[in-house]
Amino acid sequence: MKLIPVGRPMKSVARMRALLIACGTAFTITLIVLALTVPPAPRTPDAGATALSRAAGGSTAQRVQRLQAAVRARPADADRLVAFGSALLQQVRETGDVSYYAQAEHAIAGAIAHDPSNAGAFTLRGMLRLARHDFRGALRDGRRARRLAPEVVNSLGVLVDANGELGRYGAARDALQRMIDAKPSLGSYARVSYFRELHGDLAGAREALALALGAGGEAAENIAYIQTLQGNLELSRGRRGAARQAYRAALMRSPRYVPARVGLARAEAAAGHLGQSIERLRSVVARLPLPEYVVLLGETELTAGRGAAARRTFDLVRVQQRLLAGAGVNTDVELAIFQADHGDRKRALTLARSAWRRAPSVRSADALGWALTRAGRARQGVAWGRRALHLGSRDASFLYHAGMSARAAGERRLAARLLRRALNADPHFSTLRAPKARRALNAL
Amino acid sequence: MSDRSRQILARVGGDRDRRSAIARLRRVTAALAGVLGLAPALLAPAGAQAHPLGNFTVNRLSIVSVSTDRVEVRWILDQAEIPTFQERGRTPAAVLAGKRAEALRGLRLRVDGSEVVLRPSSPGQISFPKGQGGLRTTRVELMLAAPVRDARRVTLRDSTFGDRLGWRSIIAAAGDGTTTRSSLPATEPTRRLRNYPNQLLESPADQRSITLTVRPGDGGVIAPRADGAGMVSTGGRPNDGFAGLFDDAVTGEGTLIVLLLAAFGWGALHALSPGHGKAMVAAYLIGARGTARHAVMLGATVTVTHTIGVFALGIVTLALSQYLLPEDLYPWLNLVAGLLVVLVGALVLRARVRTEATGHHHAHPEGRTHDPADHADGHGHGPAHIHGDGEEHGHTHSHDHGGGHHHHAPESLRPRALLAAGAAAGLIPCPSALVVLLGAVSQHEIALGLLLIVVFSLGLAATLTALGIAVVCARGLGGRLRPAGPVTQAALTAAPAASAVLIVALGCLLTARAVPAII
Repeated sequence: MKLIPVGRPMKSVARMRALLIACGTAFTITLIVLALTVPPAPRTPDAGATALSRAAGGSTAQRVQRLQAAVRARPADADRLVAFGSALLQQVRETGDVSYYAQAEHAIAGAIAHDPSNAGAFTLRGMLRLARHDFRGALRDGRRARRLAPEVVNSLGVLVDANGELGRYGAARDALQRMIDAKPSLGSYARVSYFRELHGDLAGAREALALALGAGGEAAENIAYIQTLQGNLELSRGRRGAARQAYRAALMRSPRYVPARVGLARAEAAAGHLGQSIERLRSVVARLPLPEYVVLLGETELTAGRGAAARRTFDLVRVQQRLLAGAGVNTDVELAIFQADHGDRKRALTLARSAWRRAPSVRSADALGWALTRAGRARQGVAWGRRALHLGSRDASFLYHAGMSARAAGERRLAARLLRRALNADPHFSTLRAPKARRALNAL
Repeated sequence: MSDRSRQILARVGGDRDRRSAIARLRRVTAALAGVLGLAPALLAPAGAQAHPLGNFTVNRLSIVSVSTDRVEVRWILDQAEIPTFQERGRTPAAVLAGKRAEALRGLRLRVDGSEVVLRPSSPGQISFPKGQGGLRTTRVELMLAAPVRDARRVTLRDSTFGDRLGWRSIIAAAGDGTTTRSSLPATEPTRRLRNYPNQLLESPADQRSITLTVRPGDGGVIAPRADGAGMVSTGGRPNDGFAGLFDDAVTGEGTLIVLLLAAFGWGALHALSPGHGKAMVAAYLIGARGTARHAVMLGATVTVTHTIGVFALGIVTLALSQYLLPEDLYPWLNLVAGLLVVLVGALVLRARVRTEATGHHHAHPEGRTHDPADHADGHGHGPAHIHGDGEEHGHTHSHDHGGGHHHHAPESLRPRALLAAGAAAGLIPCPSALVVLLGAVSQHEIALGLLLIVVFSLGLAATLTALGIAVVCARGLGGRLRPAGPVTQAALTAAPAASAVLIVALGCLLTARAVPAII
């Protein structure tokens, strides 16, 4: 810069100007960037809306999302994991979408790993095991949760359900009594209702359901569940109008609630509207093809004289059974009865025996008795049928199975008494079996 | 996922958001991984299983892309064992026809407020992959399209198969000549309905409708992050594959070694595309009589500064990401870049005119003039100009020591000047590198992203260094070839002025291109 040639001064002036212009540009850029950064909110209107709905609480799906975020923020927090798992189980109850079970299982396992003395985690695992028909595992979890936190009521629910499914009705009753004494709630009243129904006290069951409804629940599904139970109870007493009303009320609460839709279909079939019933069941099965619903659809088709359709439907049950077995899921009481009625009778006996081993309840006794009768061992069938009824149940299907077994065993008077009781309890208990029961009774 | 199934994926087609170069790279990667017997498990996501959603689910995925002249929907159906069984006895063609009818019934496309009819653009494909229990599943892929010009607001609603349970996902893909802002995340974790996540925090997707806001652009997609925290952008086509490479890395396709080699290669290739100050590097080494050692030092500086530049811009972007997206920033940066180029051109031109007026033949160093012009490729290296401006000043300043003379006087290269030159070349962060960094942050793969960027920068520097060495080696030859004929002399005098005019013109062009994206 020491040697300045001619024209240099001019040039340095130009450079000064350039520098000034550059500074001006830089200033402008800064202004633009600032202008861009100042309005923060309107860029993401969705974010605000989401925050609002989160604050509002809302549906189970929203709760799942919120808890998911909470867990993501603190993945080692056992209580958050338990809350998340609990919301997921509720999600399954509402949607019937069992895929959430896997997620719930992860959450619960995480909670137990981080806090091996978390009673809530064991209660939740018990619930999950109940849902998967691992009743012994559920009983262990329930007991453990109870030991960890004797003052918490939830674990008693697991004990009631697991003991009941395992045929330990005395233990179930004790737990239920403690539960109802500690905290009357929708869950405990619903269990009281089921317990009374098992013992043939239908009026008491109805009363308990009314109390359950009064206690109220957290989610819309809880109420819909109770209303569906009310519908089932009314239907089994032959009161179709009241049943339909209850199912409709449930669907008002929870529009896609599958058990209520199935209830409506059964009420329609009982009223002789088979076509309507089949349509409804088809839509249910398309969404959620649980073996129980598929069997019901096939039997309704059979009653309607649609043999070919029924055969296709029953094929589906067999495929499901194959898939369930492949996935290591417990074979069920429903499948044993299905095989006894429509399929392989020897297979039915195997299934029923395994069902009894896993869960020696009155339901399993009923299935085993029927499978024995259908396999030509009616005398044993009668004995198991009595066992199914020993609590005093007035379940028309139990009575029908026991009555038909007695007829096959040649015990005509017992058969007539049982079949009459079945038809008195519910003249339309099954579109397929009620007429059979009537014919058998007339022939006796 | 086996190599074979990946090939099937490629053959199924419709994956036009990938360039053939990437497909080739992917095949090479896959082949290499196969040859070496290296499982891609290195970066594979944790446990996934077939149909955790249940054997009765009907899973659907729609991939929407909006181009300037059409809207396309690639619709994929994965139907589990039980619904497949329920369709037994029907021919594949009949099943496919049924699914096509269901897709055409259930997919509702609205463009700028009015309903638009989607039509199949190909017959579609159906296959029956093996499922559980010796049963089959059904897989259908359909390409649907609607000829729509310059769509601005596109909504797709998927009500196929009513309320049947299953995965339901809609994502946006890059289109031709557009930048798309999506209301839903742009990624989906099932690899096109082949593997469903079985992770704690992944709920089954239930996306029934997507809204896309579209403006002219270069194929980018701006979408919320999958975990709901903020927005993320997936670069479109201009990313010359580096960003795509990162996607592959995250999805576990390819091994780390291959990825690093590929990143290096992309960097080296990328340096050859306009806008990396090659002309400046060359001119500098010529003008300043650099040696091979200087060229290497220059390369090292470029690596460091480019990495720092990307990181710095990444940090700034992340800090500002609550308020705006890099994609929202780019149009403005493009505008600023355009205006700056005009300014630089004008200044050069002015200086030229003044020196002409005072009768001085000031052979201005090429680098000063050519480098900005280099950017006239519409790449939008906007931020570079903000940083580069300051650096350029230092650069110019250093040049004035030697450049003030009529002829390039011999000069020993000082480290500071060398650093300035390297920084000027390196502080130009490539958008694709930035996309990789931001992608890494959003995917919680930050270490991998940083590593890839460093390697990418190394590749970039390798090319520049090689170029520098070549220039240094050729310089002697070039010097001898510079004759002093009157015509050439006149040309040499006029060239800088002409290039200044050209710079102004290019700057105007850049500005003009940048404006519509902002309006």
